[in-house]
Amino acid sequence: MSRVRYGSRTGNRLSRRRVLAIAATAGVGASVAGVAGLSLAGESSSSSGDGGPLVLSLRDASKGTFDVFSGGSRKTLTDKKLAERLLKAAKG
Amino acid sequence: MSSHREAPEISKDPVADSSDLYAFVSPDDPDTVTIIANYVPMQLPASGPNFFEFGDDVLYEIHIDSNGDARPDLTYQFRFRTELRNNKTFLYNTGQIKSLDDKNWNRRQFYSVTKVDAHGKSTVLAQKLPCPPCNVGKLSIPDYDKLAEDAVKKLRTGEKVFAGQRADAFFVDLGSIFDLGTLRPFQDKHLVGKTVFNYAGKAVNALAELNVHSIAIQVPLSAVRRNGKKSVRGRDRDAVIGVWTSASRRQVQVRHGDKKNEDVEVGPQVQVSRLGNPLFNEVIVPMAEKDKWNSLPPSEDKRFAGFVEKPELAGLLPVLYPKLFDKLDALNKAGKPRADLVAILLTGIPDGIIDNFQNNTGDVKADMLRLNTAVPPAKKENKFGVLGGDLAGFPNGRRIADDVVSISLRAIAGVTVPLVDKNFKPDAAAALVEQGLSVNDSKAKLLKRFPFLGTPFDGFNNPK
Repeated sequence: MSRVRYGSRTGNRLSRRRVLAIAATAGVGASVAGVAGLSLAGESSSSSGDGGPLVLSLRDASKGTFDVFSGGSRKTLTDKKLAERLLKAAKG
Repeated sequence: MSSHREAPEISKDPVADSSDLYAFVSPDDPDTVTIIANYVPMQLPASGPNFFEFGDDVLYEIHIDSNGDARPDLTYQFRFRTELRNNKTFLYNTGQIKSLDDKNWNRRQFYSVTKVDAHGKSTVLAQKLPCPPCNVGKLSIPDYDKLAEDAVKKLRTGEKVFAGQRADAFFVDLGSIFDLGTLRPFQDKHLVGKTVFNYAGKAVNALAELNVHSIAIQVPLSAVRRNGKKSVRGRDRDAVIGVWTSASRRQVQVRHGDKKNEDVEVGPQVQVSRLGNPLFNEVIVPMAEKDKWNSLPPSEDKRFAGFVEKPELAGLLPVLYPKLFDKLDALNKAGKPRADLVAILLTGIPDGIIDNFQNNTGDVKADMLRLNTAVPPAKKENKFGVLGGDLAGFPNGRRIADDVVSISLRAIAGVTVPLVDKNFKPDAAAALVEQGLSVNDSKAKLLKRFPFLGTPFDGFNNPK
């Protein structure tokens, strides 16, 4: 009941179990390519800018390709340096 | 089963598991269609202290295609929210529940209804509609039927809705069917069964006296037909709608253990369950493809058409029941795609094949429950539906009492091949094969009016 839920829907067909959430942090400065998500009534489409959570999933470490889950959308960004930093942090 | 636990992944996620879908012209209001989507299957009535409920983290949808492109022209979305009244008790109810806002009822569930049109425009039709409680027992809920009636709501836009626990009226002999395809009435003719039995058996309904959670909606026919027609002829393509249900979850979930309030569910909705025709994913689609099928919309079903054209079960019947299905065996060996099954399951039956009937939606091959809305409710239902000469039953939509297991068995056994090949003479056994059950074996007394599914079995008296 008290979980944080945001969102909208797209035709995305990835299994939810294949998603590896490696970070939940805002303030990622990088170019964003690709837009997914329609806003639906009854569901907030708020994003990290609204104070909501943001989840990064590193899809391809060699290319630095991330899926960014924010609100009800998933966007793709590429940032090799960020990938390297996060991998380093994960090895910690 | 129709679709209870029909795929590996969704079998582990019952809250999002669609088990049955019904769509029929409403006997209590023939200017409307009733659509019922059942979720959370196989509920043992005695399930305290944590009784069953819908998932607050699941998006439930009922989709209606009016123009045959296998894409929704109208979608109803249902979102649930659970509220705890008393956080100092372990009990579902701390006294008798006599109304939907009774203070003794500790854990209540509410829902919203959102309509999405063909262009994706959303309109919230209602919020905070109450679900009835689960049927705990006669002592806790002295008049359950009244609570359930109070939970039927008429929306300002004309729809009638209900969401909550019901008695599961589906009937199937799961135990025998998935034990090497045995049908108990024919067990002594089964390849292995005849070495064990020398008599016909009596079927057992594996779902008897179990409950389910139903989302039911009754919609004016003019709202679901293409072009909003109030009146339409049966031969008119606009009379036919395609229906399916789906359940989706957020793509990402992050759990924080003891800091439950900080759990995150974020990202797009990802479809995890789908249901159109009964048994499609369960019996037609191979196990390796079932999870994928659940994630896809009907508009992608052409990729599964091969499994309909040459269904695995059609090949098994002649092997499991030697000498009873020789003509089916010959048909299988001829290798000709089963156009009859493609019509029934993927395109609808075209006009001119069955007298005074069609439920064809065009060339797009998609698993949808197709209903010709111009066919009025039958005065006396035949559980074999169209195969029994009752055009108001499956595969023209699906009513609660339709024996979809036996209808599907007969169709796969070859009974419907003459619809597309007049020279084919089905095996005598094809018209006789059945599981040996009826809706009476569910012991769920149906209602004569919306939401039609009966009072849930109560936890005090069930299991017996």
